[in-house]
Amino acid sequence: MTGDRPLPLSGIKVLDFGHIVAGPFCVRLLADLGADVIKVETATRQGRTGARRGQRPGGTNGRTPHLYHINRNRRSIDLNLKTERGLAVARRLIDKADVLVENFSSGVMERLGLGYRTLAKTNPGLIYASMASFGQSGPRQGWTGMNVTLQACSGLMLATGAANDPPIGISNSWNDYIGGLHAAVAIVGALSKRRSTGKGRHLDVSQFEASVAMIGSLLFASAVTRKPPARLGSRASTAAPQGVYRCAGEDQWCAISVQSDAQWRTLRTLIAADLPCDTLAERLAKQDEIDAAIEACTSKLSPQEVERQFTAAGIPAAAMRRANEIAATDEWRHVLRPLKEHGEAGPKVIGLPFTFRGSAPCEATEAPRMGASGNEALREWLGLDEPAIAELMREEAV
Amino acid sequence: MARILDLTSLMGAYGTRLLAELGHDVLRVESPKADGVRREAPILGAAPRPEAGAFHQFLNAGKRSAAIDLATEGGRKLLLALVAKADAAVVSLPLPLAEEKLLAANPDLVLVRLDDGPPELCAYASAGLLAITGEPDGKPTMLGGHVPCAAVGVHVALATAAALIGKEATGKGQIVDISAPQCLASLAEQVWVEYSASGEMMERLGSRGGITAVAGALPCADGHWMISVPPDPRGWANFVQLVPHPAFKDDGSLADEAMRRERKQEILDCIAEWSRKQKKNEIVEQAQSLHIPAAAVTNPLELIDDPQLLARGFLKPIDHPDFGKINFPVGALASMFHQAMSIAPTLGESTKLILDELGYSVSEIQRLKDEGIVA
Repeated sequence: MTGDRPLPLSGIKVLDFGHIVAGPFCVRLLADLGADVIKVETATRQGRTGARRGQRPGGTNGRTPHLYHINRNRRSIDLNLKTERGLAVARRLIDKADVLVENFSSGVMERLGLGYRTLAKTNPGLIYASMASFGQSGPRQGWTGMNVTLQACSGLMLATGAANDPPIGISNSWNDYIGGLHAAVAIVGALSKRRSTGKGRHLDVSQFEASVAMIGSLLFASAVTRKPPARLGSRASTAAPQGVYRCAGEDQWCAISVQSDAQWRTLRTLIAADLPCDTLAERLAKQDEIDAAIEACTSKLSPQEVERQFTAAGIPAAAMRRANEIAATDEWRHVLRPLKEHGEAGPKVIGLPFTFRGSAPCEATEAPRMGASGNEALREWLGLDEPAIAELMREEAV
Repeated sequence: MARILDLTSLMGAYGTRLLAELGHDVLRVESPKADGVRREAPILGAAPRPEAGAFHQFLNAGKRSAAIDLATEGGRKLLLALVAKADAAVVSLPLPLAEEKLLAANPDLVLVRLDDGPPELCAYASAGLLAITGEPDGKPTMLGGHVPCAAVGVHVALATAAALIGKEATGKGQIVDISAPQCLASLAEQVWVEYSASGEMMERLGSRGGITAVAGALPCADGHWMISVPPDPRGWANFVQLVPHPAFKDDGSLADEAMRRERKQEILDCIAEWSRKQKKNEIVEQAQSLHIPAAAVTNPLELIDDPQLLARGFLKPIDHPDFGKINFPVGALASMFHQAMSIAPTLGESTKLILDELGYSVSEIQRLKDEGIVA
């Protein structure tokens, strides 16, 4: 996709006070939408290496692989926020910013002297997004949360899996992504509102609430029935049979989802089963029996072969793909992008899964080493010249 | 705020809900026969059929409804009239009318084209997400509650809200192409990063999580609680205060995260032995007072009376015409923006009003109804 129309957030200045995944991921979404981002980091506050920490030392530019990917498309300035001068530089950058994103525990930014109320006095247009696990109010305001604990208390682990299964989660930083995405939508919405009011605002995002909202329909159901909703595994109420079926080989599986009566008739022939069940209601009632018949067939074939045979017959089917198989798929080819610094031969990063026609997608640039682009940031945002920057460095503010 | 037409399936409907939560006027243009979102179970018995679906009740809240049969010539003509007055249209493919026709009716339209792709479960498997969801020795499973669809929806909201900013700035609309399978693939980023950086494959971990050595959902007297033992020595010292198991107190070597990684199962078994007799909320309160990330494993029924959600306005007590007094999930953004969210509309609730606005006469509206073009 090419074109000369600027991306929607071009010209928007964002300061990233985020750490680990949720905050920096939110900021990356804004960067991919065209925003100009500076990440404020503090070298003296080491140890927050974040996602999958401890397992992957090294990485690139002093960042673990995961954080190298999450923190791309931004400059980095190393500010010592414990010194008055460092804080003063931060305040000057904030006064130039349209958006600030932070995901510290509630109260941390206030203690640094960087709370919303203080900053809004000199920059009333600032959109300040906080992303604490449980938000900035309520009985759990100060509670600490992590991806797995938030997956647990937001209902996700008991909405997933089948009846009598233990709680089941997803192994990646799912909750951080969902929190980051909701925060990004809120920020873009607030930017729209600012166009008419001229006013910024404090966005008190709760990662917990973002995750609960994802199963809002099940909450509604429980509010009415006063019962927990049934755990359906991979089944659905509007498609049957639907499930994940064992295939030949160790831990090999294929997903199949029958969407219509016609597809069911085809499938019945494919698996040579004598099961009438012409309507969805009948199939829903006999899911166990049907699943057994399907698995008797799929367990003799590789998942790729099941996918091939079933999709050729017009039945939606997809092999469970692992890391080594996904890069070859169309979906993946479209979201993987080269880094400007390393070209096609270098590491591929994940870009936005949508495009704006007439606008070239944001070019991916690698995550900088901490503080590596501080001078550039001070020059461009504050108009400081080299002697002024050298002065700040002498004072150990930067 | 913007006028947005919502012609999405279940894949996009959470996205247009979020746009309503931001304060936009979202009109759901839906089939007079009740579409897939309305039919999605759980179906709640007390209400008339097109309003009885829990997904409809949550996802269509804050929206208006116009019931128009887009399979008819008259219905498509009506849609063009609506497009002419809209700022944006968010549409699951295939488009009901050719792109050129929609843009001819409104050259400054933000048109968001959502490619739903294959069924949710198949997209989830292809994306690489199925391989990391489920018990390690059990069957892989999809995240429940149509959460994968909602995850696509948040991307739809982001793309649309961004394109609306572009329109506000330039006066010009834009076409946005968004693909549900690509949204899910992008959320499997860590699967890709891990593999491309070190050749390692992320696997299913049940409830264990992959960050700290000792983490997981463990049984207690009234369900499960989730613990993630902080990796630093001080966090471990706090943890031993919480779980005073003799095996922990007497073994100094467990202060080391690497050692805990090696003896993970043994440690989890000890914690479970202790927590089996405890109540989840009591453990969690105590853990949090020691700055240990712990949480109750909750189901949607427990969440519907959750004090945190009530205190922050995510849940709002309402008197629903069909369901009586309930705590209504207002939404994560609506509560933040203090956006009042109307309950989900009855099918075609605003059809007449919309036709009035478009200048249709009473007799014309009656004719459209008689011909089954609107309801």
